[in-house]
Amino acid sequence: MLSPASGTGRFYRKSAKIIRFARHGCANRPFFHIVVTERRRTQKMPVIEQLGTFDPLENEHNEKLVSLNLERIIYWMGCGAHISRPVDQLFGLSGLLPIHPTLYMTAWRNRKEIENQAKEENNESATKT
Amino acid sequence: MAALRLFSRCLALKKYDSLPNIAPVSIIFNRTLKYLPKEYNETDPAPLFFNGEIQSLLKTLTRVNLNKVYRRRKLGQKKLDLPTYKFVTDEQLQEMMKDAEVKADELLQMPPVLKIRGVRDRVLSRDPALQGYDAATYIFTDITFGIKNIDRIIIAREPDGTLREADWPLRDRMNQVYFPLPGRELKPPLMFQDNYLEKLLTRKEYEFILDRSCIQFEPDDLDYQRVTTITYQHVNDNNDFEILRSTRHFGPLAFFLLWHKEIDNLLLDLIQSSQIQEANVLLQLYEKFHKVELNVTGLQNTEALEKYIKEFSNKRGSLELAVQAYKELEEEKKQMERDLKHVHGVA
Repeated sequence: MLSPASGTGRFYRKSAKIIRFARHGCANRPFFHIVVTERRRTQKMPVIEQLGTFDPLENEHNEKLVSLNLERIIYWMGCGAHISRPVDQLFGLSGLLPIHPTLYMTAWRNRKEIENQAKEENNESATKT
Repeated sequence: MAALRLFSRCLALKKYDSLPNIAPVSIIFNRTLKYLPKEYNETDPAPLFFNGEIQSLLKTLTRVNLNKVYRRRKLGQKKLDLPTYKFVTDEQLQEMMKDAEVKADELLQMPPVLKIRGVRDRVLSRDPALQGYDAATYIFTDITFGIKNIDRIIIAREPDGTLREADWPLRDRMNQVYFPLPGRELKPPLMFQDNYLEKLLTRKEYEFILDRSCIQFEPDDLDYQRVTTITYQHVNDNNDFEILRSTRHFGPLAFFLLWHKEIDNLLLDLIQSSQIQEANVLLQLYEKFHKVELNVTGLQNTEALEKYIKEFSNKRGSLELAVQAYKELEEEKKQMERDLKHVHGVA
């Protein structure tokens, strides 16, 4: 049975909490819940609360859907919850937090790779003629 | 779809051009609907529509018939409860009828007539340094408890790094994904596309079209107003007012006809069926819509009607004939009453 979004995980008041993904898809079909839980718990253990979802596969309109329960996210951030890197990246993209530096790094690397590929293609076509 | 509509509109403008290459194009034109949508896109009709007086006048025009309101409907898979039969006193029966009328009032609540919603394209931030991070658009939806669909924060991060507000179709889609409304579909059904819509219109399935468009679209949606206005025009041209009478769509239909000054067919229908009171109510509404003086004094008089026919109508001949026929009929009735009284020795 699915646990309610309010969660069933037990936690200590002063323990370290973290907002992170919990994988809920099946084989070859990833789907993530954004959850808040105690840091030391494993991914499949009951969580304190679900804060949103993330569907990493694009839909027919080439969109990746993210849902965020902003009210609860801000509450848990106010309680001092940590944020895992992938979730931090999403929050950065959504404009909730400043953009994570790794996002800029990946973007720059991807752009550079595309440039290099284009250059190689140019060189190949030049050598052929 | 929108592009196709635009295309057919351009064609409508170009139809009478004498260009030699128009021949293959006109074939396409013949396959689309002959009606063009008339959206409420310039002045806002809402203040007029939500005016209490106008609402009650529109309701009078609807002509509530309880037998039609509580008719058998196609409900698909839904099973009805078995009817219960009761012995009641006269007083209880009156009370039950009153309850039924209150419930009918709810069932006949008119879908609102609104101006088309404006574009939503506010850009929140541009970050070209994010270009190349991902080829897909990220859509972020706020699912905080207790927020209305209309107020929900929905934003999109484009592949070029722009963070913008979601436009209306995207908002509708996201709201339906996370907070589905019963009966509404994620993709608009095919029946609202021009070629399918035309088939439904020729079969006179007006109520089906209008009911379903109420569920599928928001009332200020461009698509809603396209479908409904085309349907209203079809009803008006084919004089099928009786089909929509006693349904929640008659008010908006009358509103549409009044707004665009096309009430002649409806007026003719009312006069021919001797509903002179409703004809006068319609003229009262016309006065309020277009700020003209018709001097509607009594609901049984035909003076205002004649004034309207003289000054504003486009179908003067047939309307005048109908009024004449109505007057003769009334005279005959009066004469017969007098004769009856005479025979019975009352007068």
